Amino acid sequence: MATATFPPPPPFYRLYKDYIENPKSAPEPPPPIEGTYVCFASSYTTDDVLPSLEEQGVRQLYPKGPNVDFKKELRSLNRELQLHILELADVLVERPSQYARRVEDISLIFKNLHHLLNSLRPHQARATLIHILELQIQRRKQAVEDIKRQREDAQKLLKEALGTLAGQ
Amino acid sequence: MDIISQLQEQVNQIAGLTFNTFGTLQRDAPSARLSQNYPEPPPNPTEDAASFPEQPKQMSAALVKAAKQFDALVAALPLSEGGEEAQLKRIAELQAENDAVGQELQRQLEAAVVSMVAERELKLVQELFGQTTDNCLNLKKPD
Repeated sequence: MATATFPPPPPFYRLYKDYIENPKSAPEPPPPIEGTYVCFASSYTTDDVLPSLEEQGVRQLYPKGPNVDFKKELRSLNRELQLHILELADVLVERPSQYARRVEDISLIFKNLHHLLNSLRPHQARATLIHILELQIQRRKQAVEDIKRQREDAQKLLKEALGTLAGQ
Repeated sequence: MDIISQLQEQVNQIAGLTFNTFGTLQRDAPSARLSQNYPEPPPNPTEDAASFPEQPKQMSAALVKAAKQFDALVAALPLSEGGEEAQLKRIAELQAENDAVGQELQRQLEAAVVSMVAERELKLVQELFGQTTDNCLNLKKPD
């Protein structure tokens, strides 16, 4: 691995000297990467999926299951948050040294809130796709109607012209 | 901005209001007497005492307003029917319909191309006829 301060660019350009004459004399581009790869000494993954809360070591407060009722859970998490804020205010007045547990609870609720909102994004993506498909179908139907109408008008004109020609 | 981003912004705003509230109140609060053993706290400077009781009220009002705004945004979420499968089914239906309409469009386009050719030939015939009649009327010799 080159560790110079300003390393020169990789020397692969020399292999493409005769590309114009013979496109096969130069190497093909590398195939797309799958799985994990290392870039600038940190590793990335090509599989973009939202990691579940347990994998991040955070307790999940809303019930797990195939279909989560997002609106209900978001509203109940909001109420919990307000209650915890009030609790923190009380603790600071009565027993100020016990703030740590309350602050942890509040940050747990925030993490759950953000995770819920992030898991709404795939749903939003599918809804956008549905909307785009519907728009496209509508535009195509409109185009079919227009072309049909124009064809009928053109045929009428042609018949009229034929008629006038034959009449003369 | 789309509704999910608005919701995320609102959550961050609530978090900001929370720590600003606690931080400001902790920093600016006048000293309180902890026990009878300790002497009276020094009198507060006037700047604090003047606007201080307003601050918790205003800050808590802002917090509650932000929470209500969050609830309003949640109510506005367009979460149609539940389930990933329902959405995927709808996408498959729409794709099938799109293909059908696309083929219809293709057929219409080809038919239109065919009738364009016929129209051009007719124009040619018309032109020749016009020339012939002109020649007849003007008693010109044909070229």
